[in-house]
Amino acid sequence: MTDLQLPAWAPWAMGIGLAAFIGMVALSVRRNHGVKRSLFAAPYTLWMFIFTLLPCILIAYYAFTDANGHFTFNNFSSFWDSNYIMRENLRTVAGDEMAATVARGSVNVDTLVYSLWMAFLCTAVSLVLGYPAALFMADRKMRLGPTLVVLFIIPMWMNFLLRTIAWMSLLEDNGLINAFLQWIGIGKMQLMYNQQAVLLGMVYNFLPFMVFPIYTSLSKLDPKLAEAAQDLGCNEFRTLYKVTVPLSLPGVISGITMVFMPSVTTFFIPRVLGGGNTRMFGDLIESTFKTAGNWNLGSALSLIMMVLILISLSILRKADPNGEGGGIV
Amino acid sequence: MSEQPRMIYLENISKEYDGVTVLDDINLYIRKKEFVTLLGPSGCGKTTTLRIIGGFEYPSTGRVMFEGKDITDMPPYKRRVNTVFQKYALFPHLNVRDNIAFGLKIKKMSRGEIDKRVDKMLNLVNMAGYGKRSVDSLSGGQQQRIAIARSLVNEPEVLLLDEPLGALDLKLRKEMQLELKSMQQQLGITFLYVTHDQEEALTMSDTIVVMNAGHILQIGTPKTIYDEPANAFVANFIGESNIIRGTMVRDELVNFSGVDFPCVDSGFGENTPVDVVVRPEDIVILGEDIGQLTGTVKSVLFKGVHYEMMIECGDFTWKVHSTTMQPTGSRVGLSIVPFNIHIMHPMKEEAK
Amino acid sequence: MKQFLKKCYLAIILIFLYVPIIVLIVQSFNAGKSRAKWEGLSLHWYQELFTNASIMNALWVTLSVAVVATIVATVLGTLAAIGIYSMKKRPQAFMMTVTNLPNTMPDIVSGVSLMLLYIFAKVERGYFTMVLAHITFDVPYVVLSVLPKLKQMNKHTYEAALDLGATPAYALTHVIIPECKQGIVTGALLAFTLSLDDFTISYFTTSPLVQNLSTLIYSATKLGISPVYYALSSLMFVVLLVLLLIVNHRTADNK
Repeated sequence: MTDLQLPAWAPWAMGIGLAAFIGMVALSVRRNHGVKRSLFAAPYTLWMFIFTLLPCILIAYYAFTDANGHFTFNNFSSFWDSNYIMRENLRTVAGDEMAATVARGSVNVDTLVYSLWMAFLCTAVSLVLGYPAALFMADRKMRLGPTLVVLFIIPMWMNFLLRTIAWMSLLEDNGLINAFLQWIGIGKMQLMYNQQAVLLGMVYNFLPFMVFPIYTSLSKLDPKLAEAAQDLGCNEFRTLYKVTVPLSLPGVISGITMVFMPSVTTFFIPRVLGGGNTRMFGDLIESTFKTAGNWNLGSALSLIMMVLILISLSILRKADPNGEGGGIV
Repeated sequence: MSEQPRMIYLENISKEYDGVTVLDDINLYIRKKEFVTLLGPSGCGKTTTLRIIGGFEYPSTGRVMFEGKDITDMPPYKRRVNTVFQKYALFPHLNVRDNIAFGLKIKKMSRGEIDKRVDKMLNLVNMAGYGKRSVDSLSGGQQQRIAIARSLVNEPEVLLLDEPLGALDLKLRKEMQLELKSMQQQLGITFLYVTHDQEEALTMSDTIVVMNAGHILQIGTPKTIYDEPANAFVANFIGESNIIRGTMVRDELVNFSGVDFPCVDSGFGENTPVDVVVRPEDIVILGEDIGQLTGTVKSVLFKGVHYEMMIECGDFTWKVHSTTMQPTGSRVGLSIVPFNIHIMHPMKEEAK
Repeated sequence: MKQFLKKCYLAIILIFLYVPIIVLIVQSFNAGKSRAKWEGLSLHWYQELFTNASIMNALWVTLSVAVVATIVATVLGTLAAIGIYSMKKRPQAFMMTVTNLPNTMPDIVSGVSLMLLYIFAKVERGYFTMVLAHITFDVPYVVLSVLPKLKQMNKHTYEAALDLGATPAYALTHVIIPECKQGIVTGALLAFTLSLDDFTISYFTTSPLVQNLSTLIYSATKLGISPVYYALSSLMFVVLLVLLLIVNHRTADNK
């Protein structure tokens, strides 16, 4: 990358952009009529266009072109069949017969399926662990909510990479857990470099994102609703699954989104705790870009990822049409 | 009143939002020192009219004149009017004193002068000693007083009030009505007041403007509006009334419920369909055989000062207020004196 | 009894969250380099921390990127929130979709797409591109924390200011911004935290020559990570914790 220089027009572009920015702000302030305040959003709109929409368009562009910039579907064929390019090359050199001997390479699809499965597991475990936690946090009698929110946030101030590395110290063969197991007489176990370790790391990192939105939507519930349900003859469990749980659904949905999405695409956790035995889709995207330097295939993989996420989000949003799910804010 | 010069003149004002007409060719003037009320159901355009005068909305067509000058395009902060907003819109980050001083500080008035005026205002609204309080710590009625003080301290030519008492309970409303009225008289400021409460309008106003669906239906003193409603809508909206379809047989004779009644109205032509309005308290209950109409008492409600009876005569049920009670099921005669029969043209469809 | 069980459950979850933190802090005082062996208490790694040029440099990059990105994002986001708030329904809905878009994009896709943008525009990646990337993922959070405060505001507050003679600029600086101050502060804190903790997007938008702490740690993991990073992280953690306690204490006093 270092050989690339700033193009000559770059300072001009930046200058014009800045002038436009200042101009729009000045214009919107100077206007007499309050209505024009919507112009305040103009710089932001411009920014989001350049740094969010344009990059998305670029991903699509790279996904549908080859290294020379020609339109192609090869990147998607390569996703479906990782030996596709090899076979096609062979076909031109040695003919159809030789090409037929190259089997379909399913590594990319397998990785995606595996990632989705791991993300599903992580989301499910986080939900099972997180819902009761959020429920107890929202318990008005205990009044622990605000304190616990802070206690859930504080670990995030420790660098994410180091937090994951810390699990290595706990899980490795000479680690603390094995030492403990040995001490109580069970003996050492292989805890690292497997699927469970990756899952643990994911749940550990993403659990707060499940708890916060659920807690937010639960604490917004009117306690009178639960009282009304009990007044109408529901016992505590019936109240929970007939009233409380359905009403906290927006929170659950936004929790699921916030856990599922980073889980599918994480690449650091499987690399550290899975020891490279278990490859995930984020891992694949990263190495396609960084190691293989194949931006076109990498873009195609990212595009597939994005489309999958958008589809699942729109399905989830159906269940929460008002988009009321509480965020972490 | 009528000698006072015109302060504000709305000239052919129309307003559309996304193709929906909210105000349709409004013409209205407001005289100096007058207490004018815009009265109508929600969505009738009264608040929009007020906001156009305040400068927060711009009419699609028409002009707003202020003392003879066109101020249609003038931004709100240059207009010599102030507004008391619905739910007050006090600034929560400022205390009571700073809220009231807000406009004066913008005018770069000296500190001493500001303090003097703010104290005067706090006294006027009976809130002396509350200066340092946060506005969130005040009750609804107190916030209301501060909102009024915040506007009045700027000595506006016209004070616009948008349902200012809407959030208060009944007792407080009544007190504030009287206070506002006396404040207006004391300060000699023009008040333009928006409400949907007809009783409030009748109590406080010099002039009432009845609006519905973007039209002005009637402009008049409270007494005119009540006694001589221009059409069935006004009659129905102001106080309770019986409205029945009838036919004007000739001048001073109207037919409804199959009976000819003498009345005092004329000029409708012969055999013209009209709306007939009779107030419930204007119907006299007599013995079964001596009334102009005969009917059966369907229900009786005790309303405090009077009884409200629903009396069925043929295919129309009359609402009658009387201090003497007739038992349900009894047959009675009804009579109406000519003076109390109000004849009006049937309403145009659009204004209903 | 029931309350006790609930508290136990919450305690277990908290232990789960804090065990690695405690492990890291303990190891930062380990005299030896091995993760597994305890070789005695020492401040060795803390001493080394301040003499390690690449770490100090990365710390500077991390903090300065976070500060710059937070300032720009806060200004941009606050203005945007005010603009979006005063929009009509349809453009408002569109802007909300745009604002939520980065939220629905995984970090890796955001990072990769920004990398492609820089490659496409032939901009060399480094400090500046990293700042731009950080601003980009920070702004929506500022918008999303300021907007609810504006919506809570009485919708006539701005008009009331104009009515009392304030010009739009005066109303903005003296009424609207003070009233959503809390949301602006929350948004800025959130932006700062996110910027500080970001790895994935920084990783794709900077060059190997300009490292922040996350990317430095990432490249260090390939070689086996030195406890000096534990020391650094523990130190930052404690500083932030102390800051939190001070802020909390002060707000408690104010009440």
